[in-house]
Amino acid sequence: MKSIVIATSFVLLATTAAAQVDLTGVWAPYRGGRGADPKLAAPAATPLVLKPQYAGPFEAKRKADADAAAKGEPIASGAVACVPYGMPRMMQVALYPIEILPTQGQITIVTEAFSEVRRIYMNTPQLPMGDVPPGYYGRSVGKWEGDTLVVDTIGIKTTVPAYQNIPHSDQMRITERLRLVTKDILHDQITIDDPVVLEKPITYTLAYRRMPGYEMVEFVCDNNREYIDEKGGTHLRVRDR
Amino acid sequence: MIALLLAGLLHHSFAMFDTTKAVTLVGTVTVFEWTNPHAYIELDVPGDAGAVKHWTIELGSPSILQQAGWKFKDLKFGDKVTAVVSPLKSGQAGALLSRITMPDGRVLTNGPVGRQ
Repeated sequence: MKSIVIATSFVLLATTAAAQVDLTGVWAPYRGGRGADPKLAAPAATPLVLKPQYAGPFEAKRKADADAAAKGEPIASGAVACVPYGMPRMMQVALYPIEILPTQGQITIVTEAFSEVRRIYMNTPQLPMGDVPPGYYGRSVGKWEGDTLVVDTIGIKTTVPAYQNIPHSDQMRITERLRLVTKDILHDQITIDDPVVLEKPITYTLAYRRMPGYEMVEFVCDNNREYIDEKGGTHLRVRDR
Repeated sequence: MIALLLAGLLHHSFAMFDTTKAVTLVGTVTVFEWTNPHAYIELDVPGDAGAVKHWTIELGSPSILQQAGWKFKDLKFGDKVTAVVSPLKSGQAGALLSRITMPDGRVLTNGPVGRQ
């Protein structure tokens, strides 16, 4: 009987702790800056080490991108053609905010850039790696570990570039640990594990600040004056009159 | 410095533009489009001998501009403005806005500067 009471109390305490963490609302990238508390800024990322067969082509592509940019014809990313970012890059695009919307059994994240939507199913088992149809957002499941929301994502299409545009395989797994470091500063620690492409997992952190009262701005990509030439270079369509 | 600032504001490379240059354009607004993925200003700029050059100026998106204090009704056809821009490396009459002096004298930038 006593053990039941203790177990019940523990569950209640755990539930109460989780319930106190409310991520609801709009969050903008937090860049720190002069005068900011360094503890609030995102810690540095771990080194990016690709397996040799991927490192060579990746460096070659970086160089080609730099050369094209120097000529004023940067190699277009998908965003130039208004293709959304997908996971994990959608979690921080320039200065665009994201909106976190917890509901019963689910946490939905809507981004302002390109109006991307991802759904995190809470306390639900993840599917086996090969059972998720490849897409931009894959399948995300989440659970609270104390004050930290832990999210597991698999099923990201291999054509969707990952962190720093690294290539990835269909074995990529993204683990996020979202935690409030203060009432109004949120960190999302992201670990990318891909045993095919990476020598070891990469971990980096995104920092956000709360935006009370902010109303998300719509983003429908209907006036794209940039275009991509046959070599993949980006150009601006200039009008005569 | 400009390059560093812009890197945080735009969702893709801005290497089409020569951010080492700052060209000042004094002209008349013919178009102001508050659109995604970018807002645009088209500007008629009188040159020597009465010739008018028509410029296409790219801005950030409404979200980013709003964070820098812009409003969707800030400019209209016929407004006189002074824009400081980074021109296209191609030499065409296109550019990326750096800052602009509005008809009412306010100076707005192409995104929030100095904010966390």
